[in-house]
Amino acid sequence: MYELLYDIFGSEIIAMIIAACMPLFLFILPFALIAVLLERKVSAHMQDRLGPMRVGYHGILQTIADILKLIQKEDIVADTTDKKLFNMAPVLVFAGSYAVFAAIPFSGAFIGSAADVGIFFIIAVSSIVVAGILMAGWASNNKYSLLGAMRSAAQIISYEIPTALVVLSIVMLTGTLSLNTMSIQQTAYFWNWNLFGGAADGFVQLLLLPFTVVAFVIFYISSLAEVNRTPFDIPEAESELVAGYHTEYSGMKFAMFFLAEYANMFAVSAIAVAIFLGGYQSPLGYLGNTIGVEWLIPYEQLFWFTVKGVGLVLVQIWLRWTLPRLRVDQLMTVCWKYLIPYAFVNLIIIGLISLI
Amino acid sequence: MNYENLYSSLSLIQPEITISVFLLLIVVADLIFDKNKALIPFLALAGLIIASVQVILQVTNTGYAFPFSDVYLSRKGMVTVDAFGAFFKLIIIISSFILVYFSYVSDEIKKSEKNLGEYYALIFGMILGMFFLSSASDLILIYVALELLSLSSYVLAGFSKLRTRNSEASLKYLIYGATSSGLMLFGISIFYGLSGTTNLYEINTFLASHQINHLTLSFASILIFAGIGYKISSVPFHFWTPDVYEGAPISITAYLSVASKAAGFALLVRFIKSAFVTSDDSLGYWEILSVFDWHSLLILVSILTMTLGNLTALWQNNIKRMLAYSSIAHAGYMLLGVAVLSNQGLVAVLIYFFFYLFMNLGAFFIVMLIANKTGSEEIDDYNGLGYTSPFLGVALTLFMVALIGLPPTAGFIGKLYLFIALVDAQMITVAIIALLNTVIALYYYIRVLKHMFLTKSTVETQTVSVIRPNIIFIIFMLAPVLIFGVYFGPVVDFAKRCVQILGL
Amino acid sequence: MSLYDIIFYLFALLVLVSAFITVTSKNIVHSAFSLMFTLFGVAGIYVLLGADFLGVVQLLVYVGGILILMIFGVMMTNEITNVDIKTGTTQVVPAIIGVGLFAGALTSMMLRTGWNSQPSENMDTTTYAIGKLLLTEYVLIFELLGMLLLVALIGAASVARKEKE
Repeated sequence: MYELLYDIFGSEIIAMIIAACMPLFLFILPFALIAVLLERKVSAHMQDRLGPMRVGYHGILQTIADILKLIQKEDIVADTTDKKLFNMAPVLVFAGSYAVFAAIPFSGAFIGSAADVGIFFIIAVSSIVVAGILMAGWASNNKYSLLGAMRSAAQIISYEIPTALVVLSIVMLTGTLSLNTMSIQQTAYFWNWNLFGGAADGFVQLLLLPFTVVAFVIFYISSLAEVNRTPFDIPEAESELVAGYHTEYSGMKFAMFFLAEYANMFAVSAIAVAIFLGGYQSPLGYLGNTIGVEWLIPYEQLFWFTVKGVGLVLVQIWLRWTLPRLRVDQLMTVCWKYLIPYAFVNLIIIGLISLI
Repeated sequence: MNYENLYSSLSLIQPEITISVFLLLIVVADLIFDKNKALIPFLALAGLIIASVQVILQVTNTGYAFPFSDVYLSRKGMVTVDAFGAFFKLIIIISSFILVYFSYVSDEIKKSEKNLGEYYALIFGMILGMFFLSSASDLILIYVALELLSLSSYVLAGFSKLRTRNSEASLKYLIYGATSSGLMLFGISIFYGLSGTTNLYEINTFLASHQINHLTLSFASILIFAGIGYKISSVPFHFWTPDVYEGAPISITAYLSVASKAAGFALLVRFIKSAFVTSDDSLGYWEILSVFDWHSLLILVSILTMTLGNLTALWQNNIKRMLAYSSIAHAGYMLLGVAVLSNQGLVAVLIYFFFYLFMNLGAFFIVMLIANKTGSEEIDDYNGLGYTSPFLGVALTLFMVALIGLPPTAGFIGKLYLFIALVDAQMITVAIIALLNTVIALYYYIRVLKHMFLTKSTVETQTVSVIRPNIIFIIFMLAPVLIFGVYFGPVVDFAKRCVQILGL
Repeated sequence: MSLYDIIFYLFALLVLVSAFITVTSKNIVHSAFSLMFTLFGVAGIYVLLGADFLGVVQLLVYVGGILILMIFGVMMTNEITNVDIKTGTTQVVPAIIGVGLFAGALTSMMLRTGWNSQPSENMDTTTYAIGKLLLTEYVLIFELLGMLLLVALIGAASVARKEKE
């Protein structure tokens, strides 16, 4: 992508900046528009309501109206806030969740950076979000915000451990940290996905199958916790903490938190897709190969990646309106007493099997 | 690295492996025997016995472990197993044996009996770090081993939570330790930047064959010396010593004053000898590369160390603090032996250390017994103790006499060999300064004896009764101090045998 | 000026400015947060030097781990409102002299020493090489680090425990 832009503009700097902005404009903004509406519609229908109906046909323009409203809102900064940190926090949160997109392979032809450390980079850089959340909670000078921030930080740090352990077991299996290479390895048909034991030989794959499925479940649960989604949404539990760490924010700053949250939702789904669900590979073979149109393949890949990613986002929404919220102690128990030990055992077993 | 290399390397680091295995065993045993911790000291003892046998075998079974497989590099490894390292490991092992008994008797440790598993696991962590320090010939390994030793000792210094001074000691130790290991790491990075290698032998070859900016090298050497100087508590890196020695549980204080110092000295000598010395001449003097003046630095530091240690010890009223300053002074004497930069000086250091082990730990043991009973470490509370508890009084007197360096104790022999080495190397002025220092030391050691014997016992003076195992233990500690004071031949022979450092 | 240079200077500026704020800020929370930017900038410089794995480790360990815990600790130990957590400056003149001398020595060292350097062309990804070295030539150090972490864990538990008389 960058090379193409470089050819067009002839300047490294412009090409780099445009390449860096592309996921934002091509993906996150449209995605957020759709996902917000989707969430409202899905939740409404699950509860036997209709949801937004007035703006546009069945309310499809509702999100755009909301964005227009948010932009016009007054940017309130309370008197006792720590101004510098207060203004910096939303940027930091968004930067952290946006940086993740740099290493996500959308298709074989469009990857921000095919760096060798891919998934490791994602795990590392998402910790900036935690710093941003803590910053927001502290700078708001509001006890609900601070409590929300503390809960969020504790939760994200704890759940990073099972995530990392599971990722490690898959890294052992595939022998690479690069998400692109992982996607390439899971090519052809869906039984080559890491979810189903990866592209190993028949017998080994059969041995691996139960453990990779467990790995996927652990990964999905802990990724839910990392993006503060129900049932792990105690940092912004409305009934206890108003809105958690972004209670004091309004206008565009609130919109940035909001955008970051939806970006994060897609990011964790995308990572799960890239690691477990074959990445951008089609589950059934490519149309481009069948009819002999080479240039069609990257677009097909983008299509499949989006479909899988949005599918997982839908699962997140579904869970949100199905499961009740956990208590703080239950949340920690789930992580430290169940997920981490299981992830460890899983890691060792997958390591042993991959020695065969 | 091929597997043959790996197996031969593993067979060379047997004591370290034993210690690691027993560390893990202690942790597991702590989990399994949740209710009854009485087994753990014996488990530790078993580990030490096995390790000590393996260490004794190392005196003859020498070699390089974990060599680099790269053909361009020499085949000298990351760990150098030789008689010199074995000597210091032996000192560490002996003091660990004594420490186990110390802890078994100490009231402070008994109060935290529930956490005995942690205590011994951390001690084994220390031992592991010290073992690797005394045979490491790679800067990375040196740093990691130093951190292992430091981390364990920070926690151990604050082990007993019942006294506030404990946490203070731990925190002070941590802050000074972090600073000096940071300095050392910076020095290591400069060494690596200059030479492109972390192996001491490679650095030696590099320094001998290349033109080097002396300022940079001196800077790096001083920074590395800061890390080592902190471990042996030499001036100006000694600030932590009195506070930590006073605040830490007394068993740990005693251990820090001997074992951790031994590891520091082993590291210092091996660092200088491996990285800077090209060969020994016929008289055993080291041909040192002219890139950095270790001789002057060491002499300066050692004179400062012993003078400051002795002068400050004069004012102390707490006996643990006094012993802390006296241990600083002893580090100064031993640094002088290193400063001679010859095999003769090194022999003197080894002899000194061997005797220092017994006399210092003995003195600490008696202080602990008295503190167990009276709950005080103030010298004023020792008034008349010589009459109410004559055995302890006499034993402490003998240890003090040995620490001063008077005949007929082993302390005298240690000092004697040191001064002979100094005079042989034409360092007369330095020898005189050291002698004057010994005279100063006389005053504060004798002051304790004065309180014990010449001050009349008052009503408060308690009788410290000693149970039989403790009497046997004290006699066991006294025996070397007295016997080697007269019959020191074997120790000297052993030290002369152990002066050989591999790698030249 | 190439893109590489621009990014390098941006990161260098970030490191310097935030390090300065870390040291001079009177508000300890501000110090902690600007330390985060310092560490982040250092990670960026690592990557520019071709040590991509190290850069990410720096990010993961320092920004994601140590610093978050530090901020967490600051927030846990202090009241939210009314109490300003301050740090003070003492002994300014001796410190300036000391630091000045140190900086002078360092600068002169840096400029006058012939450092052992490697050509910058071969900036391969380092992950594979690091993994291989850690389990062959540096296997002893790797294992020893395992023991170190175990001891640190036991030590942390020991420090954290309460003891009853």
